[in-house]
Amino acid sequence: MLSGLNTAAAGMAAQQQRMDAVANDLANANTTGYKHQRVGFRDLVYEQSGRSSAQGVRTGSGAAAVDAGRAFAQGSLQRTDRPLDVAIQGEGFLRVRLPDGRDALTRDGGLHIDGAGNLTTASGALMQPAIKIPDGIGEDGVTVGQDGTVLAGGRRVGRLDIVTVRSVQGLVSTGDNAFVTSAASGPAVAAPRATMLTQGALEASNTDMSEAMVSMIESQRAYQLASKAISTADEMMGIANQVKR
Amino acid sequence: MDRGLYIAASGMLAEQIRQDQIANDLANASTPGYKGDRTAQATFGDLLLANSATGAVVGRQSTAVQVAEIRTDFRPTAARDTGEPLDFAITGEGFFSVQTPQGVRYTRNGQFSLDTNGQLITAQGHLVLGTGGRPIAAGADGKVDPRLIGVTLLTNPRKEGDSLVTGTPAGAAPAGTVRSGALEGSGADPARSMVDMIASMRAFEAGQKVIQAIDETLGQAVSKVGSVSGG
Repeated sequence: MLSGLNTAAAGMAAQQQRMDAVANDLANANTTGYKHQRVGFRDLVYEQSGRSSAQGVRTGSGAAAVDAGRAFAQGSLQRTDRPLDVAIQGEGFLRVRLPDGRDALTRDGGLHIDGAGNLTTASGALMQPAIKIPDGIGEDGVTVGQDGTVLAGGRRVGRLDIVTVRSVQGLVSTGDNAFVTSAASGPAVAAPRATMLTQGALEASNTDMSEAMVSMIESQRAYQLASKAISTADEMMGIANQVKR
Repeated sequence: MDRGLYIAASGMLAEQIRQDQIANDLANASTPGYKGDRTAQATFGDLLLANSATGAVVGRQSTAVQVAEIRTDFRPTAARDTGEPLDFAITGEGFFSVQTPQGVRYTRNGQFSLDTNGQLITAQGHLVLGTGGRPIAAGADGKVDPRLIGVTLLTNPRKEGDSLVTGTPAGAAPAGTVRSGALEGSGADPARSMVDMIASMRAFEAGQKVIQAIDETLGQAVSKVGSVSGG
């Protein structure tokens, strides 16, 4: 019977996936260092049409959403004047160790000093290699240089390691603003020299509100169109059922 | 039996195929570089009718209708800016070449990314080929010069699914140029598809009515012909 039903349903499912991605982007419009998702589409296989078609006539079987990774465009820098806020300008990530022990990459530079004096991210991931701020030196005594060198009370205590991977689209998001490397991304390597750190600022989310809204509207309309194809197919099956009254 | 029954039924089947094609266009209303289809129907199995008494030719009559062809409109569609450095659109005619395990395929969907060797790949992970037929490596800044990406003109392009197209390369007319930060829109035209969908459904319904009318005629023939009392 009408394969158009499944074809249209595939299109609806694909739009649903994009809608989920857009919703996530919008929810993270104020998340420091967030990178918006790239969702693409592809058409599905073309198969010989049913009866009443010549040999070689093929109809498609719908669409599927494709995850094209994240868009790593630079987010704008927001001045905070907090000494432990660092923003990365250019390609690269801070190397951290997640509380579960995995190594991860993040662009969220809102740092904190934990109970043991170590520099961590807001979610408690330790800097890799660990940087210990000596007792008695508060946030105001910490200076971070453009190259990541951390000075505490004027003395060098370590360096924030800025790394990147060959294929940033291959990074896997783990939540908490962090990414882990995968076979598709390749291992972490040193970031280009041009990458700089800015102290006293944070990188804003790169979600473009207007673009996200447009995608949302487009997605909803495409969803509606596909659903119309389903209701028409349904109506046609009703008509076919009425051939014999 | 009455030939008309089968002709009408074949028309209904052909409309179902048209409906499937329209559903595919609508499902791909936002697939980058997708190209819309058109369903062409043709008569099938023409018969020459003749007067059985005199032998005079009455004319031709079709015995069925079928979908002769689903034609793809490969004309370029407008691109929209995305600002993504690894999104590419072709302005003008031509296709990107892609190395797949089945051989070289073509696509107009330019949503690419980089693999671990820093080479340009499609969303399905196939290498994108450059002007010299070789993979394209990104520069140190992670960007790719759009002029490095090959654009191939094809004769007899044919859609294969997964945004890929097969065809025979032909290098006559100048091919289009590539620009980055943009994606080609879908060639599916939702307004036209909706109109086609309604028209097709009504044609389907007309087929049903014809079958019902012929059925009624046959019913009359069965019950009324030979009935002495009439009415």
